[in-house]
Amino acid sequence: MTTYLLKRLAVLLASTAVAAVAVFAFMALLPGDPAEIALGVNATPEAVAELRRQFGTDRPPVAQFLDWSGGLVSGDFGTSYVTGAPIGPQIAERLGVTVVLVLGGMVLALALAVPLGTFAAVRHRDPLGVAISAASQVGIAIPAFLAGILLVFVFAVRAQVLPSGGYVPITEDPGEWLRGLLLPWLSLGLVQGAVLTRYVRSAVLDVMREDYLRTARAKGRGAAGALWRHGLRNASVPVVTVLGLQLATLLIGAVVVERVFVIPGLGDLLLNGVAQRDLLLVQGVVMVLVAAVLLINFVVDVAYHLLDPRLR
Amino acid sequence: MKGGQVKGGRTRGGRLNAGLLAGGTLVGLVVLAALVSFFWTPHDPTLVDAAGKLREPGGGYPLGADKFGRDTFSQLMVGARTTLYVGVVAVGIAALAGVPLGVVAGMTPRGWLSELIMRVNDLVFAFPALLLAVMLGAVYGPGTLTAMIAIGVATVPAFARVARAATLQVMVTDYVLAARAAGRGRPAIAVRHVLPNIGSVLIVQASVSFAIAILAEAALSFLGFGTRPPTPSWGRMLQESQELLFSTPRLALWPGIAVAVAVLGFNLLGDGLRDYLDPKLRRIRAEG
Amino acid sequence: MLKVEGLTVRAGTVELVSDVSFGIAPGERVGLIGESGSGKSLTALSLMGLLPEGVTASGRARLGERDLVGVPESRMKRLRGGELSMVFQEPMTALNPLMRIGAQVAEVLTLHGRPRQEARERSVELLERVRLPGPAQIARAYPHQLSGGQRQRVMLAIALANGPGLLICDEPTTALDVTVQKQMLGLIAEVAPALLFITHDLAVVASLCERVLVMYGGRVVESGPLREVFTRPRHRYTQGLLAASRLTPRGTRLPIIPGAVPAAGHFPGGCVFRDRCPHATPACATTPALTGDGHAHACWHPAD
Repeated sequence: MTTYLLKRLAVLLASTAVAAVAVFAFMALLPGDPAEIALGVNATPEAVAELRRQFGTDRPPVAQFLDWSGGLVSGDFGTSYVTGAPIGPQIAERLGVTVVLVLGGMVLALALAVPLGTFAAVRHRDPLGVAISAASQVGIAIPAFLAGILLVFVFAVRAQVLPSGGYVPITEDPGEWLRGLLLPWLSLGLVQGAVLTRYVRSAVLDVMREDYLRTARAKGRGAAGALWRHGLRNASVPVVTVLGLQLATLLIGAVVVERVFVIPGLGDLLLNGVAQRDLLLVQGVVMVLVAAVLLINFVVDVAYHLLDPRLR
Repeated sequence: MKGGQVKGGRTRGGRLNAGLLAGGTLVGLVVLAALVSFFWTPHDPTLVDAAGKLREPGGGYPLGADKFGRDTFSQLMVGARTTLYVGVVAVGIAALAGVPLGVVAGMTPRGWLSELIMRVNDLVFAFPALLLAVMLGAVYGPGTLTAMIAIGVATVPAFARVARAATLQVMVTDYVLAARAAGRGRPAIAVRHVLPNIGSVLIVQASVSFAIAILAEAALSFLGFGTRPPTPSWGRMLQESQELLFSTPRLALWPGIAVAVAVLGFNLLGDGLRDYLDPKLRRIRAEG
Repeated sequence: MLKVEGLTVRAGTVELVSDVSFGIAPGERVGLIGESGSGKSLTALSLMGLLPEGVTASGRARLGERDLVGVPESRMKRLRGGELSMVFQEPMTALNPLMRIGAQVAEVLTLHGRPRQEARERSVELLERVRLPGPAQIARAYPHQLSGGQRQRVMLAIALANGPGLLICDEPTTALDVTVQKQMLGLIAEVAPALLFITHDLAVVASLCERVLVMYGGRVVESGPLREVFTRPRHRYTQGLLAASRLTPRGTRLPIIPGAVPAAGHFPGGCVFRDRCPHATPACATTPALTGDGHAHACWHPAD
């Protein structure tokens, strides 16, 4: 296990490094010079050159990359070309909001998917089981932002019980914070819950056909007891894999949902950065999101190994 | 189950099943709308008509008109075209790049090449379509083309993984072992044995990927990184409808239904095809 | 000990096992022979109350004083793994891959009322009893670290844990290597209290059992002491089965039963074997009863 952990950790670090190179190289391809963009068309060549020196964009790309990536290690993402503010603290603040959004959505998705999926598998011949299965198919077909729009329509426009958007920090008013996040959580959670329900259902169905469940019953367990004691942990092995993939999807889904609900998270920061051509900011946010996906994959792989002794 | 073979109500391979029929019908509907839109739409979907602003449904405008007076129904029809176009190109890119990579990785499972392919694959996997589209959009300007490329590239890993898993299974079958024993080269085996036998898995993957591509395109257009105006797109219709959600919710309803129908159709089609083509391949799940 | 009368198993309207009757005395080892599709596994599963969804059993089966058929699951649960236990065919998949062997053996003990600590100690003893080398280490191992033969011994240990009155084995050695198979059979013969041994392999039955039941098409077509049935088969199916399994000298043709076993629910009415039987006559359209004391057969035109 320790060897595996170290190996996998090495892979994580290596892929993050390669990803950093990829992100940097990609952004370096950008036509247009940040200094020229910042100063506008009427700037004198001297002023542009001066600003370039300030930005550090006059130096060779390799040196720029080493500066940038070296900074990343200590959480220094550089200074915005547009606002002149340091990028690191902004990202940290926004990341907190996005993480809360994503984790809340995930918890909700799991809370829906595990019981519903298990039920749909156990009762896969009953009308109710089939109905859950069909409902999850429809749920998958609805993108999270569309679910958001529908939820806003129902709860904000019609019922007027929840705000249609906006974000209040928890330190200001915990009640409003919660009310503001309910619909975004629901939009992410319902859709991801539908996806997960299908996977839970199919994993439990697979497990129900396993011989060891029959063995458990032959030992004197009832059908439900056998499934509970022996089935669910086995079913969780494939579900954990999907969970990782979904968490990555959810992170990206959050970018769009933030737009729907006007929540100041990473997605909002990223899209604003693109709109203002704040390239270093975009570069930083993209890097954080990519690193988050890699980290999630790492955690999933390790969890997978912990769950399944055959892999140890 | 040994002893008396109990046949349950499971759908057997080689027979039409409900999922396939339902999926085929929904996809057929979208394709039909797209095809007809080439020759006929009730109105010009891009025609701005200040007088017909937010026109209620009826009188030649079955679903009403948007804030610029553009006919919603016509926009939906042409939007189907956009959706299918993006889906076909994105899935095409993903399949053309992903399948050969996956097959090579699957045929040389212990080689450095396979290792390299799968590592790069994992890396690309860390760049979701949305991030790629945002980055591409920042460089080349947002548009249908950058959206398609971003979605396509982001889908390559899914194809490569599925192709590799299927190839690994084919490589241990007796007919491939026989072909190898007979001294056939790898390229010949790939073309004669591997590709035909992983075809059905790939078709299923293509259908599932198509559904995901539709979702991605809608999300990108919603964010302004997809199809540019005036070309109609369901995602952008949704984005434009958001500010009018309080007054004219139907503007969000119809493109929303359109996206859901198309995605549901391709998902059902994929599941149905899996059962229809080869129930044995149930084990290799399409990746989303 | 075990008394089965008129056991019938149905999936919907299709009869998969019809009117099966037999008994097993304490300490007796009975073989149940038949090809796949003959209904032998379903017979065993119906005794365990483990029939698959949508399949139901009727008739009577008693183990000692306890009914086994038509009994609520809550009652069957207490019998399974206690009075009555079963070893299945596939040792590779029969154990939970995520649980240590010791815990899987201990589980059957705690389920039937043993305290946890005692169960843990006892499970190591049980592993030793089925002759697993280093039982303490085996108890700490996961299933994938054991060979097929070892896993089947673990299954046997689980089955024996609560001192059952009857052990049912469904092809327990079919998936094992020949040498391992021999050891396993020896062990089963040694430890089984009373045994119902299901197999398609006549040689295995010959080495293990005292009495045999031959099933075909969901019916017992012949039953009796092993020696008699094997040397003087009366039913034409048994005759064909024995002939097909006998080693033939080089150059002679292996006698085979013409045709193939029909799918469940597609056996002919009357004698289930009549469509493949060279001796069939119109009389065979009526179902023959299983007649005869000791050595019984269900055939209108038995061999002498």
